[in-house]
Amino acid sequence: MDTAVSPAAPEQPPPPERDSRGRTVVRTIGEVLITLGLVVLLFVVYEVYVTDWFSAGKQRDANAALEERWKAPPDPERSRRIEVTDGEAFARMYVPSFGADYQFAILEGTDDKSLEIGPGHYKGTALPGLPGNFAIAGHRVGKGAPFNDIDLLNSCDAIIVETHASWFVYRVLPKADEVAGWPAKDQRRPKCRDVEPLWDRSLANNKRCDPVLGQKYWYRDTVGQEIVRPEDGSVISPVPHCPSVQPSFGPLASLLTLTTCHPRFSDRQRLIVHAVMTSEIPKSMGIRPPEFTETS
Amino acid sequence: MYGWIWRQLPGPTAVKVLEATVLVLGVIALLMFVVFPWVEPKLPFNNVTTTP
Repeated sequence: MDTAVSPAAPEQPPPPERDSRGRTVVRTIGEVLITLGLVVLLFVVYEVYVTDWFSAGKQRDANAALEERWKAPPDPERSRRIEVTDGEAFARMYVPSFGADYQFAILEGTDDKSLEIGPGHYKGTALPGLPGNFAIAGHRVGKGAPFNDIDLLNSCDAIIVETHASWFVYRVLPKADEVAGWPAKDQRRPKCRDVEPLWDRSLANNKRCDPVLGQKYWYRDTVGQEIVRPEDGSVISPVPHCPSVQPSFGPLASLLTLTTCHPRFSDRQRLIVHAVMTSEIPKSMGIRPPEFTETS
Repeated sequence: MYGWIWRQLPGPTAVKVLEATVLVLGVIALLMFVVFPWVEPKLPFNNVTTTP
C-alpha cells in the first residue's frame, strides 16, 4: 500500500578513501621531485645573493686588518717594499668609473679561500707598480662579485691601486678594434693622454716573442680586453702571450691584468682586461690621484 | 611524505604550524650553511683563474 518512496536519506559525505599503495608511492615521488626542484632554486639564491653577504663581511674584516697594518709606524728600511702574506690583504683597488663606492681589498693568492674574500693576486706575478704583470683574479657572480662588470671597462678607464706607501694609476689599454685608428696624442680624449697602444699589428707575428726584438714586438697582442680559453695561462705572464720573455731581457711595461669567468655563470672561457700604469703618487705627498674624479 | 610528517607533529593545529615552520627553517639553514658551501667548490661554474 505504501508505495511512496521514502525520501532519500540526506547525502552522507563519502567516507575518506584510504589511499591505495600505488597512489602513496606516486605522490611521494612527486613530493620528492618538487622538493629537489626547490633545493636547486635555493642553491641559485645562495650562489647569487647569500654568498655576497658572507663575502661582504669577510671583505670588511680584510679591509679593517689592512687599515690596522698600514697604521703601524713604517719601517724606514723597507718603507716602499710591499710585503705580502698568503691569504692576507696587501692592497686596495678602485675603479672610479664604477662609482666612488667601488673598492676592494686585494689578497695574496688565488685559492678559493682568498677569492671568496676579495680579488686575489696571482702568486709570483709582479707586485703593484713594478715592471711586469700585476695579475688579479676575481669572482664575477656571487662572493661579492668584484669583477661582475669588468666587461664594461672602456679603454683608458682608470684602475687605481693603493698600497701602504703609494697610489698607482693604471689605465685600460686600447681594445683590439681601436688600435688601428688610435688618435695622435693631442687629439685624444683627456683620459687617454698617456695611453699608447702597446699593440702593433703591422709587425711580423712569427717573431713576436723573440728575446732581442724588444717591447714593440713582445706586446704585439696585448690589448685592453680579450676572451681566452681557461688553460691560456700566458695572459698573466710578464709579457702577455709571451711566457718565454723574462724581465731580464729588457725593460718591460708595468701592466695590470684582471681575470674572471666568461660568459657569466659559466667557466667555459676567461675574460681578461689588461691595463698599463700611467702614474704613481707616493702617499707622502698627501694627495689622492686626480683620476678619482673620473666618474664616467 | 609531507602528509605523513604533518600527522607525526604533536599538538593542536596552531602548534603544528609553528613546528612545521621551525622544521623548514632548520632545513634551509642546514642547506645554506653546510650543504651548499660543501657542494659549491665541486661545481665548475665559478672558476675565475687561468691555469697554464
